[in-house]
Amino acid sequence: MVEFKLPDVGEGMHEGEITRWLVKVGDYVTRDQPVVEVQTDKVNAELTSPATGVIAKVYFAVGDTVEVGSTLYVIQPEGKGEISTAAAPLSPTTTQTRALATPYVRQMAREMSIDLGEVVGTGPAGRVIESDLIQYVERKEHSPTSPTKEPVAKEDALPAKAVNKGTIKAKKELLEESEERIPLKGIRKKIAEHLTKSATIIPHVTHVDELEMDALKEWRDRIRNYADQKNIKLTFLPFFIKAIVIALKEFQTLNASIDDETNEIVLKHYYHIGIATDTRDGLIVPVIKNADQKTILELAAEISQLASLARDGKLTLDQISGGTFTISNVGPIGGLQATPIINHPEVAILALHKMEPRMVVRDWEGVIRLMMNMSLSFDHRLIDGVTAVRFTNRIKELLENPNLLFVEMR
Amino acid sequence: MVVGEVAIETDVVVIGGGPGGYAAAIRLGQLGMSVVLIEKDQLGGVCLNRGCIPSKALIHTAEQYHGLTHFNKMGIRLPQGEAVIDLGTWQEWKEGITSGLKQGIAHLCKENGVTVVKGHTAFLSDDRIGVETGGDFETYKFQEAIIATGSRPFIPSFLEIDGEYILDSTSALQLVQVPEKLAIIGGGYIGVELGMAYAKMGSQVTIIEMADRLLPQVESHLVREVTRNAKKLGITLKTSTRVEHARIEEGQVFLHLTSEQQEVDIVQSDKVLVTVGRVPNTGEIGLNRAGIMTDDRGYIAVDSKCRTNVSHIYAIGDVTPGPALAHRASKQGIVAAEVIGGLPSAIDSPHVPYVIFSDPQIAGVGYTREEAQKRGHQVKIGTFPFRANGRALATNEAEGFAEVIVDEQTHVLLGLHVVGQDASNLIGEGVFALEMAARVEDIALTMHPHPTLTEVWLEAAEAALGHAIHIVNKEK
Repeated sequence: MVEFKLPDVGEGMHEGEITRWLVKVGDYVTRDQPVVEVQTDKVNAELTSPATGVIAKVYFAVGDTVEVGSTLYVIQPEGKGEISTAAAPLSPTTTQTRALATPYVRQMAREMSIDLGEVVGTGPAGRVIESDLIQYVERKEHSPTSPTKEPVAKEDALPAKAVNKGTIKAKKELLEESEERIPLKGIRKKIAEHLTKSATIIPHVTHVDELEMDALKEWRDRIRNYADQKNIKLTFLPFFIKAIVIALKEFQTLNASIDDETNEIVLKHYYHIGIATDTRDGLIVPVIKNADQKTILELAAEISQLASLARDGKLTLDQISGGTFTISNVGPIGGLQATPIINHPEVAILALHKMEPRMVVRDWEGVIRLMMNMSLSFDHRLIDGVTAVRFTNRIKELLENPNLLFVEMR
Repeated sequence: MVVGEVAIETDVVVIGGGPGGYAAAIRLGQLGMSVVLIEKDQLGGVCLNRGCIPSKALIHTAEQYHGLTHFNKMGIRLPQGEAVIDLGTWQEWKEGITSGLKQGIAHLCKENGVTVVKGHTAFLSDDRIGVETGGDFETYKFQEAIIATGSRPFIPSFLEIDGEYILDSTSALQLVQVPEKLAIIGGGYIGVELGMAYAKMGSQVTIIEMADRLLPQVESHLVREVTRNAKKLGITLKTSTRVEHARIEEGQVFLHLTSEQQEVDIVQSDKVLVTVGRVPNTGEIGLNRAGIMTDDRGYIAVDSKCRTNVSHIYAIGDVTPGPALAHRASKQGIVAAEVIGGLPSAIDSPHVPYVIFSDPQIAGVGYTREEAQKRGHQVKIGTFPFRANGRALATNEAEGFAEVIVDEQTHVLLGLHVVGQDASNLIGEGVFALEMAARVEDIALTMHPHPTLTEVWLEAAEAALGHAIHIVNKEK
């Protein structure tokens, strides 16, 4: 007996509707003769018989919706019943129409437990190539409704086979114990795609400098009580945002993007600062809109609010889009320097690193100062190295001498 | 005989040391399993000892000998007149070849940790097998087994092989004298190969075939050259004719024939060679005690992993349904070994090439035109004759042609067939092209070395596309 299961005839379809039976039970069909017509949301397909024989049973009527993998009908093949069917792969005259693929790809399909007949080939003349197998697996994992198929069902007629399959499976499991496979999906997949795009399009250069934080820390500590009374947690981040915005206004090419389609540089006169935030599902970048128009305390309050929304997964699309520059504040966790990847279509990103007392030289004497590194990655298509250094010099100047920050603040 | 009390335990038992069995055993050894290879006679099986290798040695010798007496136009002359053939010396030469190959196999088995046991064997149950060597009897207990016992010539009941008057393919390769008159029952590939070889060595050969032509399993247009040459060699062809009985009288064999038109005929000869097919060696190995089923002709059905109905017992080669060819057995042997070793191997290809060492040779793989059309393909065919190939002309063997069969819509290759000099080697490219799912353009766009016979594929592919260089392309 040969069971005919509804194959995936369209890209990633899960179900189809039976629109017409071209045969009925008891009819004699030859191999490759059209048997049933199925309509999916993408295509209308005539499905042909995998074997020559008599239609023994039909499971669905016209109008029924059928899931991929369900048995549509059963053929009693010509000849001597079960055993001879099982032997079919050996004899050239009874072999099924094969999917076009090289021997290596066929071996790979067996390793991945994929029935090549179910894979849509994208190679020349519909040849199944390696990447088709990978895509097939990905698509499967993304369609929870599709039932797990028995890939070797067609050759499964020999009953005692199951025993040995078990032992092979056991051997495989042994091999796989030392590694784990997790589907790349959801936020992680978005992150992967986005970063690949950024890294592919943008020629990155990273410039690193250090800041002396003593003055700013003293300043911040002085007004901390005031912030506490207003129930606002005052970190260094709002000061950085302020300094960056001031610098961005002076170095316009860092608050810009490149329109690859029109070949234009877009200089932005609004300052939306993204704050890279760690969440359980991965990195997410909420955006503080019009940061230049907000006070230090307003910024501090907004940072706390966005961070908690991010952790709860409650950010709206508006709150995570439209940024013009990104800050990645990994300092609280640690680290000396990094080569951050720019958040495309932005053209620069600044990573802030660990703040720590370090021995530095001032006036030819070794002194201990509270130091912090920052790493600026910039799009070298638009920004020259000198511009980038001047930009960080300006930030450094403003933060090392907070009084200047006041002078420049709007 | 005494049944041993203690069974020797092994992972796998391979029964039969032919091209399927020894390949399986070596692969199992490579995969780290303990293997016992049981062979009742000699490693290498029929292929090495009584088939492929010795018959090719005989055919080659016949060609060389025949050449000596037919190369006048190339300027080769024998000062003493006729060349003489001495089959006794040939036997020694052949023995040298086969024993060298056997030593090679034995060495490879040893190096891969395969224990070779010589003896007659039969299953005792589905996990035990007995081996009788001389007077000794040993029992082996196995986890898995591979049956590779091969096949033997089928002999009709009214005949009895005596090695003197009535020969099978085995004894036909052991002659020390060229028979004056040789009758061959069966015009299949073994009959045609040996018939043409003996005709070249001077025998008067008569081939008797039930079908209406030689090589009935090969498409008729591929056989034309062979039939013509058989007649040129003086071979008498009696097609659509059956042998009713045989009688041996005064050192001569008389075969009584009936043709389709009910005409009665008698063929007298010194020796009769019977090549009417082969039967699987599955009758005497205790299959029923292991629970293994065979079909009514004795073949063991297997799935694509070469498993029998008893899932831990595999069967490969001539005991399974399909063409009795060494390369099929080897492939199955390796697949069975790998499946046992936990690898995801399978027989996943219908492309079993065939090679016939007739004159000229015939080889092919994949569908013929008819088979392709029967499967619903619109086909396109490109052919190229050897007479337009420089190398073929320069070696005085310009008969034959190459043919590619192509799906008209996708241009994917469906079959490749070749008749002519060295067809057996030429088909390698065809097999590879089919396995790689090549399109006809893939061959047409590939630079083929000149001057070689391989150019016939290039030109046949170009012809299918309508632009062969060295023949005039016909308008479709």
